[in-house]
Amino acid sequence: MLSRVGLRAAKPISAPLLNTSRLAFARQVSTVKSSHDQEQDILVAQRKNRPTSPHLTIYQPELTWLLSGLHRITGVFMAFGFYGITVTYAATSLLNIPFDSSYLVAAAAGLPLAVKVAAKAIMAFPFAFHSFNGVRHIVWDFGKELTIKGVYRTGYIVLGLSALAGTYLTFF
Amino acid sequence: MLSLYGTRGLMNARSSILKPGLLRGIKTIPQPPGNIIGTVNDAYVPPPPKKFDGSLHWTSERIVAIGLVPLVVTPFLTGASTAVDSTLSGLLLYHCYVGFQSCIIDYIPERVYGKYFNYAMYLLLFGSGVSAYGLYVIENKEGGLTKVISKVWKA
Repeated sequence: MLSRVGLRAAKPISAPLLNTSRLAFARQVSTVKSSHDQEQDILVAQRKNRPTSPHLTIYQPELTWLLSGLHRITGVFMAFGFYGITVTYAATSLLNIPFDSSYLVAAAAGLPLAVKVAAKAIMAFPFAFHSFNGVRHIVWDFGKELTIKGVYRTGYIVLGLSALAGTYLTFF
Repeated sequence: MLSLYGTRGLMNARSSILKPGLLRGIKTIPQPPGNIIGTVNDAYVPPPPKKFDGSLHWTSERIVAIGLVPLVVTPFLTGASTAVDSTLSGLLLYHCYVGFQSCIIDYIPERVYGKYFNYAMYLLLFGSGVSAYGLYVIENKEGGLTKVISKVWKA
């Protein structure tokens, strides 16, 4: 990569083919002697010019990576809920604050129906999707359905089942 | 098209605008150009082996994930006994713990964040410990996590 500078100058040029513009260009490039440290500096400078890899927005949205991202997002969302509930029980127990499920039930019962349904949907659909997609991942881990066709087939099945189960649980 | 933007400048502009206020105070480790440390002739130094990373970690994750399938279905069909509920809750806690670990590894990498990676891991371990105690309280007081969820769901 360092010899790039000297390549043209080193090339033997046949005089009859040479026109003036090529001659002018050929004269502008010449070999440069550099020490090992200087070569290292050039290398680092070249690396700085390399493009960084683009973020997700550069890719066309496809079922493959969309569902993969959704799997993590729903998982993290529900894990925060899980930690939220359990840590609340732990903290209230340690700090002697009166708290049990009746408080949660009272709070939930006081909500208007639309809010109740919305809150249930926000929990039911991620739960359904993450569960079914989790099974899909286990299927993959056994080496099955690991083709583009299989990924799409299982992806659509998971989406269908999640829609059904999520809707059922929302109005359950 | 990408190269027209001069990705380096774009990334810098992005990170300063999009970074939340909390993260602005956190100093990240500057990365070497091309993410290459040393010269091209340096031999690869493999990371030191860790007992609970790698295939053992992966296998335990899968076993827990497979175990969760019947445990998640059972409460819907027959309701959960304390034994089923405690097993489900325990495996769920591990599942969440491992999932959060993966997120920390991905989004707070040690390569970039250094000690903050360790802080995040310790915080997660501490939170999981508190969560485990919370599960013990729930099993004792309420007779199970599924009962709590079911009550609130039907409220």
